[in-house]
Amino acid sequence: MSEPAQPPRSLGELFLGFLWIGARAFGGVLPWAHRTLVEERRWMTQADFAEMIALCQFLPGPNVANLSIVLGRRWFGLTGAIVGFLGLLALPFAWVLGLAILYADWAAHPGVRAVVSGVGVAAAGLFIGTGIKLARPIARKPVAILIIAGCFVAAGLLRVPLAIVLPAAALLALLAAYRDAL
Amino acid sequence: MTPVLLFLYFLLLSLLSVGGVNTVIPEMQRIVVETEGWISAAEFTQLFALSQAAPGPNVLITSLIGWKVAGLAGALIALGGFCLPAGALAYWVGGVWERFRHAPWRIRIQRALVPVTIGLVFAGGYVLATPDGIDWRNALIAALSATVICTTRLNPLWILSGGAIAGYLAYA
Repeated sequence: MSEPAQPPRSLGELFLGFLWIGARAFGGVLPWAHRTLVEERRWMTQADFAEMIALCQFLPGPNVANLSIVLGRRWFGLTGAIVGFLGLLALPFAWVLGLAILYADWAAHPGVRAVVSGVGVAAAGLFIGTGIKLARPIARKPVAILIIAGCFVAAGLLRVPLAIVLPAAALLALLAAYRDAL
Repeated sequence: MTPVLLFLYFLLLSLLSVGGVNTVIPEMQRIVVETEGWISAAEFTQLFALSQAAPGPNVLITSLIGWKVAGLAGALIALGGFCLPAGALAYWVGGVWERFRHAPWRIRIQRALVPVTIGLVFAGGYVLATPDGIDWRNALIAALSATVICTTRLNPLWILSGGAIAGYLAYA
């Protein structure tokens, strides 16, 4: 039943695979990347996929775009990295600009603006809900709560530049992690 | 000068985006709304909404901001600026990952970044939900959306659709 993973054979195949991920990825790319790469095209195994996601979440930048670069490189070197990245972003880029151009014509319409603002605020709620979900496993650690609250107040309320907040918070968190407080 | 500035800002944002795009939303908003005044806070939230209504990675918010500031070239510049440094790093680390993926220091760094990321994601949610200061209708929509994503397995697209209806009822 589980055949060994078979990487894409050509750059064209790689491009189309990532294009297909980008074309369908409404409401989050990760599930679609998994379905395409592991279940449908079987370019990689489940364990390999999980490992690569861990790598891409460790790195800064857009996680799935990083995934396209790392996998493209593994299979076809620099060209592969570029082709995978372009495949992933081509259709979403065209789609989102199309939406923006359409919206520019309608933004003066109060009903349309109300709908779009509602979506934006609901998306803000998704941020907050996702934050709560992620915080649950570490909610009993006082240092973790302190760092979460500190970052929220500094970046969200006081609007301190991230170039200050991030190094300070990361340093504190790293010290805590080395003392096993995180 | 604006396109150059746009490019430089997004280069910097790229390297600060530990944990993904969502952690730099507060900083992106601070730069384009408060520091440069390129767009209003309300427009920022609306552009973010449009980026959620498209397929693909959430990094597309960068191209929408770029487009608003400097047209098609701006869209490419902002997206490129944001993806270039992080992409180059991913390209390099992808080749040496095997060597340190189980290293204790790497695992500690990853664990240390979790609360930092969460705090910044909360800040992003707050900034997006309060384009005109604190407004009870926005607070209600955001709270409902946060509750639903926390307590059900509903696809986020349904929650965003609910936000569309709520926005219409609240403001139109």
